[in-house]
Amino acid sequence: MGPGRQGQDVAASFLSHVSTGRPREASALPAVELEHVHKWYGSIHAVRGISLRILQNEFFSLLGPSGCGKTTVLRMISGFETPTEGTVYLKGEVANAIPPYRRDTNLIFQHLALFPHLDVYDNIAFGLRLRRLPRPEIARKVRAALELVDLVGYDTRRIHQLSGGQKQRIAIARALVNEPAVLLLDEPLGALDLRLRIQMQVELKEIQHRVGTTFVYVTHDQTEAMTMSDRIAVMNHGFVEQIGTSRDVYERPRTRFVATFLGDSNLLEAQVESSNADQTVLRAGAARLIGPADAGATPGSSVTLCVRPERLRFAGAGTASGGDDGNRLDARVRDAIFKGAVIEYRLVTESGARLILQAHADAARPVEPGAAVTVTWRKEDGVLLTE
Amino acid sequence: MSPTYAATPRGARGRSLALTGLLGPATVFLAAVLLVALCILLVNSAYHFTGTQVQPTLTFEAYRHFFTDPFYAGVVWQEIRLAVTTTAICLVVGYPTAYAITKIRRPGWVIAAYILIFSPLLTSSIVRAYGWLVVLARGGLVNWALLRLHLVAAPVRLLFDVTGVTVALVHVLLPFTVFPILSVLLRTDPALREAAADLGATRLQGFFRITWPLSFPGLYAAAQLTFVLAMNAYVTPQLLGGGRVQVLPLLIYENISDLDWPLAAVEATVLIVLVWATMLGSNLLFRRRLATLEDRR
Ligand SMILES: Nc1ncnc2c1ncn2[C@@H]1O[C@H](COP(=O)(O)OP(=O)(O)O)[C@@H](O)[C@H]1O
Ligand SMILES: [Mg+2]
Repeated sequence: MGPGRQGQDVAASFLSHVSTGRPREASALPAVELEHVHKWYGSIHAVRGISLRILQNEFFSLLGPSGCGKTTVLRMISGFETPTEGTVYLKGEVANAIPPYRRDTNLIFQHLALFPHLDVYDNIAFGLRLRRLPRPEIARKVRAALELVDLVGYDTRRIHQLSGGQKQRIAIARALVNEPAVLLLDEPLGALDLRLRIQMQVELKEIQHRVGTTFVYVTHDQTEAMTMSDRIAVMNHGFVEQIGTSRDVYERPRTRFVATFLGDSNLLEAQVESSNADQTVLRAGAARLIGPADAGATPGSSVTLCVRPERLRFAGAGTASGGDDGNRLDARVRDAIFKGAVIEYRLVTESGARLILQAHADAARPVEPGAAVTVTWRKEDGVLLTE
Repeated sequence: MSPTYAATPRGARGRSLALTGLLGPATVFLAAVLLVALCILLVNSAYHFTGTQVQPTLTFEAYRHFFTDPFYAGVVWQEIRLAVTTTAICLVVGYPTAYAITKIRRPGWVIAAYILIFSPLLTSSIVRAYGWLVVLARGGLVNWALLRLHLVAAPVRLLFDVTGVTVALVHVLLPFTVFPILSVLLRTDPALREAAADLGATRLQGFFRITWPLSFPGLYAAAQLTFVLAMNAYVTPQLLGGGRVQVLPLLIYENISDLDWPLAAVEATVLIVLVWATMLGSNLLFRRRLATLEDRR
């Protein structure tokens, strides 16, 4: 069940606690800012000079493969690690040396770290009790938090009596009840099965809308990041490769890594022939390709042209050639995979390059494996990768 | 009968059979020895002792003697005090020790700490006792130091006294106190302390709200083990008590030497009952607290 059951009352009652003294409109000060942050663990260079600004009330994701330094960044924001170099700011104040228990942040741990010897109520009340709030207030806030995660009546349950999804929600309630300025989440849905994960993604996003707190979300799952985030920082090997909205990083990847990490892409190696304000003319083997204008494309240089599979089309005999800007590649269909809404075609060009093309499954005439085809795309659907 | 179906299915039955096979011999051996020994003990405790030999007639006079002579009440009281003091000191010293070991970062130092803690167990009890003789004697190390520092005017009696026995017992039993605590502390997820800190707990608050309650089962096991071992200690009170520290194991041995089997049997029975009563009593007392911690994680 989603938390939507109780409707607006719940949100209102929770917000009445959460929002006091905290403006909902994004103010100029970033909630979190990292400036040239490095982290060394002994001889391991885990984070290599990261700078980023996370705005207030933003849902910001750190996306990258395992071991790229996501957790380390989160732990530096929450205060469990100190940057070896660089500065972490929280609401504009230098926070490098502030211990975790004095920060206005709360972290949801990768394995949740719920207290096994306490029941649900005591887990959620943990932070409030440390702040010595009066009992009735604690009771009210715990109740509001339980309503927020739709677990009213679970107060006296013990942690081991909860399902994975319920534990997940208790962890969220335990953090949010403290009304942190920033909520940090470290792959919180990693342990859940796919169905539950997708459901929790939606719920988390909803919760974030209601409480209006900055969320910094760590994940290695690109779909998850794209579903939930306002902006994504794509990380690799301790670096941030690109920061932008889901659309930005998906449609305008700046590096090969970003292009391949976020979904499938067709990468074509090419040389720049000429370039002007409208377009870039490329040569890939025998083929002449047209890409978008790119200031970095100097004639003679090598670039990679990236085109997403759903942007490729078959140029059939009957199809007007208008709109393809002259991008044409002859290929042979190796395989056609039915994926429900789409059919994914695996192609190989005359020069041996492999391509993926996605077409709607309801297309009038499916192409059979073995068929010779011509593939086309618009010049603005290509992206030039210089790195 | 088709041979295809001859093989028994590997289900719960197969598993329990295997378990019986594995645990059977040890169980039978332990049960037999314990039961037979207990029966012999009980029978003997009811026999008559003439002063030179045991007569197999049921009298119970050994019981009467034990429970009417205040000497024995004094011994039991001294023994309980000794065991309780030893256990208390072991816990007070052992808990911080175990906690500190979990905080050591360097593997080399961890090994060094383990060796140090477990060294008493690697030494023969006789050698250990003589070591303490040297340290605690009138002209021993401790008195020498106390005199040199002008903390005392004349040598103090440490040896052949409860003090010396307690110190030596703490030394031997400390590994048994440290180990259960250490293993529970090591099993506790460090992320829990971080979660507490994240929610606003200082180090001290984190310790008392998370580590301490979660380590209670270890502390409890350590206390029980130490207490039982202290109650049953023989060599240490024998060598370092100098006859001034009387405990039941010593009396049992003396009575057996004098061939007074009935009295020895009564003393042994009392010792066993005391230990078991303590264990069961404390289990009942802490049942609820332990139950809530059992199903952690
Ligand atoms: N406490 C630590 N000590 C030593 N190395 C560490 C420690 N924590 C992380 N690392 C290393 O730093 C790198 C980044 O780790 P982490 O931030 O956990 O990555 P991610 O969360 O993206 O999987 C990894 O190579 C990891 O092995
Ligand atoms: Mg991680």
